[in-house]
Amino acid sequence: MSRMHHLRLSVAAACLLALGCRAERVVTPGADSEAAGQLRATLVSASSGSTTDAVTATGTGWGSLKGRFVFAGTPGTAKALVADKDTEVCSKGGMKLLDRSLLVDPSSKGLANVVVFARKTGRVKDPVPSTPVVFDQKQCEFLSPVFAARVGQPIDVKNSDPIGHNTNIAGSDFNQLIPAGGSTIYAPKAETGMPTMVTCNVHPWMKAYMVFRKDGYVAVSSADGSFTIPDLPAGEPLEFQVWHERSTGPNGALGIDKPELKWTPKGRFQITLQPDEFKDLGTLEVPASAIGT
Amino acid sequence: MRHALPTLTLIGLCFVAVGCGRTPPAYFRPNMVEATKQRLTPDQEKQVATVLLAMFGTPDDPVCLPETGLDEAKLRLAAGPVRSDIVGRKNGLYREHCAHCHGVTGDALGPTAAFLNPYPRDYRPGVFKFKSTERADKPTHADLVRVLHNGIPGTSMPSFALLPPAQVEALAEYVKYLSIRGETELALMRAYFELDDDAGGKLPETREFLVDETLTPVAEKWKAAVDARIPVPPMPADIDLVASIAKGRELFYGDKANCVKCHGVTGLGDGQANDYDDWNKAIVEVRKELASSSEQARGAATSGMSPDELTEHRAQLAWLDKFGKVLDGDALEPRTIPPRNLRHGIYRGGRRPIDLYYRIHAGINGAPMPAAKGTVPPEDIWHIVNYIRSLPYELDGELGADKPMLARDRF
Amino acid sequence: MNRLPGIFWSLLFLAVPVLGVATFAVAPAIDVWLPKDVSTHGAAIDGLFYFILALTGVVFVATEVMLFWFLWKYDAAKAAGPATYIHGSHTLEVVWTIIPAATLLFLAIYQMNTWADVKMRRPSMSPSVEVVARQFEWRLRYPGRDGTLGTADDLFLVNDLHVPVDEDFLVQLKSMDVLHSFFLPNLRIKQDAVPGMKIPVWFKARETGQFDIVCAELCGWGHYKMKGRVTVESRADFDRWLESQYARQEATQPEADPSNAVALTE
Repeated sequence: MSRMHHLRLSVAAACLLALGCRAERVVTPGADSEAAGQLRATLVSASSGSTTDAVTATGTGWGSLKGRFVFAGTPGTAKALVADKDTEVCSKGGMKLLDRSLLVDPSSKGLANVVVFARKTGRVKDPVPSTPVVFDQKQCEFLSPVFAARVGQPIDVKNSDPIGHNTNIAGSDFNQLIPAGGSTIYAPKAETGMPTMVTCNVHPWMKAYMVFRKDGYVAVSSADGSFTIPDLPAGEPLEFQVWHERSTGPNGALGIDKPELKWTPKGRFQITLQPDEFKDLGTLEVPASAIGT
Repeated sequence: MRHALPTLTLIGLCFVAVGCGRTPPAYFRPNMVEATKQRLTPDQEKQVATVLLAMFGTPDDPVCLPETGLDEAKLRLAAGPVRSDIVGRKNGLYREHCAHCHGVTGDALGPTAAFLNPYPRDYRPGVFKFKSTERADKPTHADLVRVLHNGIPGTSMPSFALLPPAQVEALAEYVKYLSIRGETELALMRAYFELDDDAGGKLPETREFLVDETLTPVAEKWKAAVDARIPVPPMPADIDLVASIAKGRELFYGDKANCVKCHGVTGLGDGQANDYDDWNKAIVEVRKELASSSEQARGAATSGMSPDELTEHRAQLAWLDKFGKVLDGDALEPRTIPPRNLRHGIYRGGRRPIDLYYRIHAGINGAPMPAAKGTVPPEDIWHIVNYIRSLPYELDGELGADKPMLARDRF
Repeated sequence: MNRLPGIFWSLLFLAVPVLGVATFAVAPAIDVWLPKDVSTHGAAIDGLFYFILALTGVVFVATEVMLFWFLWKYDAAKAAGPATYIHGSHTLEVVWTIIPAATLLFLAIYQMNTWADVKMRRPSMSPSVEVVARQFEWRLRYPGRDGTLGTADDLFLVNDLHVPVDEDFLVQLKSMDVLHSFFLPNLRIKQDAVPGMKIPVWFKARETGQFDIVCAELCGWGHYKMKGRVTVESRADFDRWLESQYARQEATQPEADPSNAVALTE
């Protein structure tokens, strides 16, 4: 082959390469413009009276729910967090802060810090309490890795360290300096939906989660995996959402295999309580595949 | 040179092939990171796109429902390709001045964005840093106009002070439009998760859900911004500046305000280097989630799975792949946000004393800077402001050999 | 391929000087000429420009006409006999080397004074403003009440340069990132801003008005829109403007009128 021929081939190859080498972005389905036009017509017209989708209260009396989450996999050793600031307080005496995203009780296999909350209720038993509930931080760690409170309930955000912290609740209007030994009262104004992250910007390894619910029907499983939600409205179908920090489900939803409770992959189950019933869901096994590494 | 002509023709054809093609009309790119995070199916993505098209129109033809509180005339000035309208006014202002960094969708994925440090603002979460309102509130219209006039010193955001006021107004309005659209899109995408399982995976396309429940709360926050302005008690006119600066220095190094923890004992911003602002943190968290789910899924033993489990497993792997591609094409490489070097004399949100007051009082929304409100009383905030303004000119600190360069030598 | 007649080529080449001169003649009438000069440097610089234009213009026309004449006269189709070859003319070569060299030397010396006035004879005064070129804007820093740059009372602005009329004005030019060029067309000032250097630039404006600052050294994707505005005004207006901008910069209360710019009227 002549040199010219080689040259032509390589030029052709280079051009083809140039044609093909553009950063590809994921293709998305386009909008349906006809449907959009029709939809716009309905949106622009004045609305008729809206119907609220409040759950109509149907029953009387109150029941309670309890259960216990256990982890079927092996948790592995918790990683140490990099605590490189204020070491005289945060790594006092060579103490290491550990990642608390997966806390499994070694003897009972109980899975801690699973959040269970009722999605919608027709009735609420108790009004919002006015006594503050405490959320503290010490030795550069939030004392409650997962914390639940009611909308409007005062939270006493404390700092029991000899150094200053700030507490930043993502998605809220609260990111406040809290001086050493100080505290500030914060009353959440809106529900969170799924739990939201709380951090300290001065010590970025500090992490916790907070969940705020209007009706207050929320529980966080304790060290042995057990949780209780008392005073739930009886006589109406209740749907609960379950969440865990390391869950592989959407938005942290924890989906397990329990068809008798109609447990969905979105981490929801349904139950209807009788008045004065104390329903025990028993042991709820969380498979290893539901928790990310 | 007998062979010159065929070779030249070949090269010419190649250039033509690479360069020729009609440019597609500008379109709003969906928030792919959120759509993939929420595991939306293609039908759901299509529904969101259709609803947004109905509620907000296209980049060339904007629509604004009265609930948004926006002025459609101003939007039309800013929208569309650059051209003159029938009375000779310039249109297409956003695309001329803003889109190459902020993107046509306001998603900070314009062609220039990846080369800038710091990244341009992504309007879609509705979070803005430099404003006169309390931390989580929206900026007022005047705040947006101020940023357009002054630019943001120390970043690539230029000053548009030389544009006629009508054009600046149109641009500020269009930014609000893109932000409201972006927040509505996020709310719609997140709403799929909140649907009851019997809804068939479709959002209700009713006026009540789309406008009253989704759009109006977003738009109301913008309208309420004017009422959320930070009340600023005046600095006493007869203030002893030297004493104030000394007091400010005490507070700067003290435990209440804790400034040195991030801004460093020399004020050079070297107190820490590993935190993220909200926009970058969202990508970092998503990447972590993706990595952990990925490890989990790829390590799973497929041999023992039932057909159902296998389908689910394959779907999970496909989702992980898609998410990886989305993070490559629809997200910028996350960067940490260093605390501000206060010795430079460059203040991004404005250098007036009142601008510094706003930053200290409410912190900076979207950034790690916390609010001193409630912890530091207003007169103390003024002392800190005076100290900070003196930092670039501080001639003899106790720093000795570590004395940082003065602003006049470094601008 | 049919060869076009020689007359065609010679007329084509004649068109060059004709069109060239015509363009220059028409240009001032259609506003494609030197920008309005409001500087004390302007007379000398523009004068030099015209002088060189005239000189080179005459030479240009003469050369082109000669070219045309030779094409016309010695057209092969019409020429009587074959071309003759000479070994060059030493005299001719010396002549047409010495004369241009002398002309250029003359020009070099003739313009030295103007160059010195604009680039070397700095007025002894402290800088009136520090201009820092940055991608893609002009950051300005006025010395403030104490008259010294680099103190706490400096006034910081962007793109909006104000100059008092009929007064010497000294700019300290720096660059924050890459090469830019500080170009004031109406003041006949152009100076590269070199990173790492502090370069003095001075002028004296004779007339009030608003004029452009543009960047004349390719500095990146935004080079084309790196525009500023220079406003020449009376000393009283300038002082008043400085005070009002300074008051704005020191604001400890929100502004009653949030609009911060003095915009161009449309």
